[in-house]
Amino acid sequence: MNSLVSKFSTNNIPKQDVEDNEEYSDSMWASSAGYATNGLPTFRLPSLQQPTDFLRLHTDDHADPSCRIKIKHGTTTLAFRFKGGVIVAVDSRATAGSYIASGTVEKVIRINKFLLGTMAGGAADCQYWETYLGIMCRLHELRNRERISVAAASKYLSNLVYSYKGMGLSMGTMICGWDKTGPAIFYVDSDGTRLKGDLFSVGSGSTFAYGVLDQGYHWDLSDEDAQELGRRSIYAAGHRDAFSGNTINLFHIKQDGWDFIGNYDVSKMHYDGPGNIPGAPGTGYGYEVRTNPEACVVAD
Amino acid sequence: MDILFGLCGKGFVILAGDTTVAHSIVKMKNDEDKIKTLGPHLAMAYSGEPGDTIQFAEYIERNLRLDQIRNVHERRPEASASWIRSSLASSLRSRRPYSVNILVGGFDISSAAIVEGQEELGGTPKLYWLDYLGTKVEVPFGAHGYGSYFALSLLDRYHDPNASVEEAMGTLKRCIDEVSKRLVVSPSKYKAKIIDKDGVRDIEIPV
Amino acid sequence: MDGKTAPQMRHFNPYSDNGGTILAIAGQDFAVIAGDTRQTVGYEIQTRYAPKVFRLNDKAVLAVNGFAADGNMFVKKVKQKLEMYRHAHAKDMPLRAIARLIQTMLYAQRFFPYYVYNILGGIEEDGSGAVYSFDPVGSYERESCRAAGAAQSLVQPFLDNQIYFKNQQPIPGGPPHPVHLPLSRVIALVTDSFTSATERHIEVGDELEMFIVLSRSHPQQSLDPRLNATEVSTTASGEKVFVIRRPLKRD
Repeated sequence: MNSLVSKFSTNNIPKQDVEDNEEYSDSMWASSAGYATNGLPTFRLPSLQQPTDFLRLHTDDHADPSCRIKIKHGTTTLAFRFKGGVIVAVDSRATAGSYIASGTVEKVIRINKFLLGTMAGGAADCQYWETYLGIMCRLHELRNRERISVAAASKYLSNLVYSYKGMGLSMGTMICGWDKTGPAIFYVDSDGTRLKGDLFSVGSGSTFAYGVLDQGYHWDLSDEDAQELGRRSIYAAGHRDAFSGNTINLFHIKQDGWDFIGNYDVSKMHYDGPGNIPGAPGTGYGYEVRTNPEACVVAD
Repeated sequence: MDILFGLCGKGFVILAGDTTVAHSIVKMKNDEDKIKTLGPHLAMAYSGEPGDTIQFAEYIERNLRLDQIRNVHERRPEASASWIRSSLASSLRSRRPYSVNILVGGFDISSAAIVEGQEELGGTPKLYWLDYLGTKVEVPFGAHGYGSYFALSLLDRYHDPNASVEEAMGTLKRCIDEVSKRLVVSPSKYKAKIIDKDGVRDIEIPV
Repeated sequence: MDGKTAPQMRHFNPYSDNGGTILAIAGQDFAVIAGDTRQTVGYEIQTRYAPKVFRLNDKAVLAVNGFAADGNMFVKKVKQKLEMYRHAHAKDMPLRAIARLIQTMLYAQRFFPYYVYNILGGIEEDGSGAVYSFDPVGSYERESCRAAGAAQSLVQPFLDNQIYFKNQQPIPGGPPHPVHLPLSRVIALVTDSFTSATERHIEVGDELEMFIVLSRSHPQQSLDPRLNATEVSTTASGEKVFVIRRPLKRD
């Protein structure tokens, strides 16, 4: 009878979710010291009818700015495909409410030598799951003796986050890389959307980045011009979006894997520009054109 | 925001859908195909909750493919649509239901569906309107999304079940133009598929 | 109850904020990890000595801030895992591995988070000083200085200015800003950060507890006797860990 009652009880939380079941098994004392995993990670849930409402109550800073756990938000990230490969550019600001929690965040996650993932939304969600994706991609390589395609890697991530849909994960990411089919970008987000495309921008500053990116983009961009476009677009977002800024990280993916092009200070871009780099204007992106309009060179 | 249309003509069904994927105010993509080919004479246009749409559509696609491998005879549109409906209905009672609205277009080529005196058509066009609650109804024309508010009355007035492909495409064009004219934020591009005795294929929407 | 209505829960708040501030700074071959010892709830001081900074092993020190109960639980679990590792591998877990361990442990609680901000400081395998900072669900980053907790918005800008030399121009023709500061300077900055935070923040005060981890490559393997430091490292050949305790204002 009791088992029948518990079977139909609405608050039927399996015992293992309440107690740590894995903590002191025999495997703890072997060389793996309890670090070996058996497949997917398991998560502990509050013993409530609606664990998701609980999380929302304590973490959603839009609904309630006074709530305690501030999950970092606010970002500009972009990636585009062109004849020379893929450009990936991001800012480096992390905000918790209106406090700038960090100005040195690495929003490009290096999944492996040929795959990059960008980070927007929950910093931990992106960092954790894209690291996990890296592990799965490596296993794919070992099992199949060939590198995983960008399509397959992104689908793996998309299916994974879809299985947590409604639980409160927050991520908007671009999985970028080079595989047998050439350069590829997939947009994957936490509501399960997965889109193949040539050009994406994600985050609170994405509209500002799109404004510059869409106007300057075409397939036949030279490598230098493409890098400059990525840099200039993130600068634009850093300048107009209060939740984006600090520095720009720029990556270029080619046939033989990704290259880190550089880290650029947004304020320095405003006054001085990226310096004497091919494709760059030679002056600051913002200051000169506002203080000395004659010196303004309109891009063609 | 997705807009789907479907209409039957003489010996064919046409499905059409917009091609934009939007997140809040941003168009993330403008060439997404929201119509899946499910069999030799079956296609489905889908819209709804992001993530759910593609997951459900792929689930349907693969199960119908499996069915096709297992069985010699092609599953009739009515049977396919019924199975899709029952999938939605059982999902509705699950912990997390799929929120997907669907138009299923098929062409029934079974001998029972060949109308006497119209043998040259090779069967009967079928169109089913399904929503996320598990409602299914066979219709001569149908629409989902904001487009339905404008297009249904228009189709009541202009739809002709005996229309030729050209005439039906003209009617579809009327629907698209009306939405473009009256809807505040309307999609710029649509993709259409036609299903007839020769199978499923893309069809250009007249300019 | 008629058995038809499910139990209704009106309110469940398992979290509290216990104030205080923590801080860590990495030097070239040392790390300093510090925190005050005041524990508060609202305007009430629960205790004047509740440690927030813990030695994990001879090269890693963890500071936890936020909800004290979660923090204590978390440190306990990290220490258990590290002990298991030591039994299995006959060595201490390297700092960067501890950082990743903390990430996975925090993320395992993604849907019922520990309300804890962690800062991990210590010495890497290459002998360099390092600081890792975490958010409550495990996103982390290696930095050279980080403040967290009640007075983070008072302390961090000061550190940005004094350690990263933000918004400072080097003297024209003079030397550039140093990349790493000497230990004596860092200890002075940490002390000043906490005395100043105590002046302006009601949840900070009582006592300052400062851990110093010296790399084997650090030229001095002991601290100035005037600092009144206690050595707490367990081996003579490894990294050296010291604690300095200083009074802060108690009002």
